[in-house]
Amino acid sequence: MTDKNNRIPFDEDNYTHNINRDNERKLDRRGFMKTLVGAAGVFAVSSLPWGAVAAKELLGLGNKEYPHQKIADLNAVAIGDAVEFHFPGEHDSALLIRLGDEKFVAYQNACTHLRCPVFWVKDKNEMICPCHHGKFDVETGAPTAGPPRRPLPEIEVEVKDGAIFAVRVKRYEA
Amino acid sequence: MKRNYISVALLCGILLLNIVFTQFMVHQYFYENYVNTLIFMSLNIILFPIAWLVYKRDRRKA
Repeated sequence: MTDKNNRIPFDEDNYTHNINRDNERKLDRRGFMKTLVGAAGVFAVSSLPWGAVAAKELLGLGNKEYPHQKIADLNAVAIGDAVEFHFPGEHDSALLIRLGDEKFVAYQNACTHLRCPVFWVKDKNEMICPCHHGKFDVETGAPTAGPPRRPLPEIEVEVKDGAIFAVRVKRYEA
Repeated sequence: MKRNYISVALLCGILLLNIVFTQFMVHQYFYENYVNTLIFMSLNIILFPIAWLVYKRDRRKA
């Protein structure tokens, strides 16, 4: 009686050694199928957020709207001239350039390198950042020379009642 | 006990389709074809009940 648990194998008639771990981690066919169904569930759930953001884009919820802001009168800006303004906030300095009779472009003019103000050089037909001589294409806002690597954020412009209005900031596409 | 590996193969195929659809979904999202993203998302979701039905059918047979 005293060496009851010293025999090998000992009698498993007590409640402290009653856990049988043999083959506990073996994955049988049924268990494997369960795992596959679970994986399908994980895939289904994890594709939901992608659908959600896609639906958000389709419904146009990502486009922020700001109140339209008058930049200048149409007559006050000659062709080839630039006007500074602020849009959408009062600290977001921006630049409107009249390229033709009906053609206006506007950009937020903080340089995408270190946020120096970019200005318009009429006779060179370029937008130049004075800090490190970054240059931007006036038609698209894309960087053409110097340290900046990203385009300037473009502002949509609308001509209404003989005045120029800033409508919205275009979605940034890197 | 006779084992049926057809269901296992079916479920493996479903998992493969899941991977393919997820890949397409993500790529179509970044290509900005949002309708395609939604289509692949619904395909991915539909695959889950199909997989579950395959499993259930297999269990009923056994």
